[in-house]
Amino acid sequence: MAGMCCEVNLAETETSATVQPSSRSARRRGMEIHQFKFVHSDSAVAPPHSGSGKRKRQKFDAVVPVLPLRESEIRRDQLSGEVEPEAKQLRVSVQPAAAAETKPEVAPDYPKFGMTSVCGRRRDMEDAVAIHPSFSGPNPNFPDGMHFFGVYDGHGCSHVATTCRDRMHEIVKEELEAAGSSSWERTMCESFLKMDKEVGSCSSGRVGSCCASACRCELQTPQCDAVGSTAVVAVVTPDKIIVSNCGDSRAVLCRNGVAIPLSVDHKPDRPDELNRIQEAGGRVIFWDGPRVLGVLAMSRAIGDNYLKPFVISEPEVTITERTAEDECLILASDGLWDVVSNETACGVARMCLQSRKPPSPPRSPGSDMTVTAAGESSDKGCSDASILLTKLALARHSTDNVSVVVVDLRRGC
Amino acid sequence: MAAASDQSNENCHYQEWMHLQEEELSELTQAAACATNAELSRLVDKIMSHFEEYMRQRQLMARADVSPYYAPTWCTSLERSVLWIGGCRPSSYIRLIYALCGLDIESHLTDFLSGVHRGSLGQLSPRQLVAVDDLHQRTIREERSLSTKLAMLQEDLLDNPIASIVVAAGGGNVDAALDKHGREMAGVLEEADRLRLGTVKEIVRILTPRQAVDFLAAGKKLRLCMQEWGKKRDLDHGRTT
Repeated sequence: MAGMCCEVNLAETETSATVQPSSRSARRRGMEIHQFKFVHSDSAVAPPHSGSGKRKRQKFDAVVPVLPLRESEIRRDQLSGEVEPEAKQLRVSVQPAAAAETKPEVAPDYPKFGMTSVCGRRRDMEDAVAIHPSFSGPNPNFPDGMHFFGVYDGHGCSHVATTCRDRMHEIVKEELEAAGSSSWERTMCESFLKMDKEVGSCSSGRVGSCCASACRCELQTPQCDAVGSTAVVAVVTPDKIIVSNCGDSRAVLCRNGVAIPLSVDHKPDRPDELNRIQEAGGRVIFWDGPRVLGVLAMSRAIGDNYLKPFVISEPEVTITERTAEDECLILASDGLWDVVSNETACGVARMCLQSRKPPSPPRSPGSDMTVTAAGESSDKGCSDASILLTKLALARHSTDNVSVVVVDLRRGC
Repeated sequence: MAAASDQSNENCHYQEWMHLQEEELSELTQAAACATNAELSRLVDKIMSHFEEYMRQRQLMARADVSPYYAPTWCTSLERSVLWIGGCRPSSYIRLIYALCGLDIESHLTDFLSGVHRGSLGQLSPRQLVAVDDLHQRTIREERSLSTKLAMLQEDLLDNPIASIVVAAGGGNVDAALDKHGREMAGVLEEADRLRLGTVKEIVRILTPRQAVDFLAAGKKLRLCMQEWGKKRDLDHGRTT
């Protein structure tokens, strides 16, 4: 599926039917606010620019010579871009792209988020993203307002990632309902195991509901066992962030300007992972980086039946108490993390959110416009952040698909 | 001889086109410096109609004799080596957008972090990025299907009827077989040209006039540079064209 950002998607898909569009004047107010950033830009502290990613890629330089662009005209261009007619449609609401079934009225504690997912420099799109606000529904056992965010980066083909996108939140929901008082960790581990089983049975059965979409592995083998996906899933509750991770996508929390990773990538050369693989009788071979059996460059994944038991689908789960200093949560595939450090990502996301900060004491005499536009504009901030991070990854010559989700965690926005 | 004049026609057509590219590049560069959005739009439209007309004429000539378009003698070795079905790979236009977008962003990251935004293609809006990505994926799919068609045509050459003409020595009309094959090759070339034109058209529609001008200028500059570099390399290796 094409990449999208939640707000943009609205204008074009069936989800828009359920959206309450804000009035034209409200949108106009939003646009006017939007321009304030030029006048009043919060001086976000720029974190140290740590240029290179942790991994093998050394060359980030773009290669094409172009004419230098002139600043003055460009500024003008941007300003005019702000008011181009189609831009008005964008800032409608925060109805999630992936959750057509959610009703708009469920959301007392509606999460603010932005999402971008692009094919980038690869010729196959194998990333998938799922966002389901209030996904568990009203349930006396669980606090209302639990939100689900997942990023899946497929390899071999796209169908495991898309199956995760379509099913993981439903499985987590079922597990939550069945779990009673058992721990988050158990619930999430069970969910990942079930997801893995579903993917496995679907690939051996091949009756095809999961692969109904055009997926290229169908042409290659009858049983596409050599297909898998990473999964990084964040469940955001009013007081906690539960991150479950399998593979090398990553979740990073931005707290008071500091980047705190909430997951640790499963690379085959991570000492504990290396141990586990060797104890199971497997080997890690360096072939264009460390790879399980010389094949897969990550040590855990959903799918990949042929690499079991060395590659497992058991997630590592972290539970983080939310604090008043939390700013945002970033989930992304390695298309971002290969070329953008956690710190830089936080710096960028933070800057985008802050420049959209809802003005509690009105900044300008025209206060009527600041009040209603607050909700809209801070969501625009999340989208800005996810887009800008994606563009930065492309700028640094990320050669992979790039998927970024940014969730606003600030309270009382 | 008819063949010789075909060759020079094609060559002339191409040389004229490259000359036009130089003119358009300087026009684009000048316009980018001072023109209004409306003027930029008009310029982009004009350039697109030139492109369309070039494609149309090229199609007519290719129908008469397609082979030179797959292996054009009027290009340098460097240019020939990177051709996809007689021209530029359409998905590479999107890579050019990303490259331009990247140059803008990377060189101004510090400014971005302090909230100052600039750069024309760096300003790709969320909606534009989504549209570009969508176009990208569609273009790749169409490229794949055309590549598959071409593969089949290439395989056909070693199959019947041509194989049997060769093996059975003299039984059958070689020219008729090659002409038929040529017509099919011309069909694929036409589709590829249509995809190229369609992709650029859609890009220009997605971009603002100013961005479109930057994009077209960069594309033409690249095109002309490739020719320049190719000439130099041919000379360095003692090849004359």
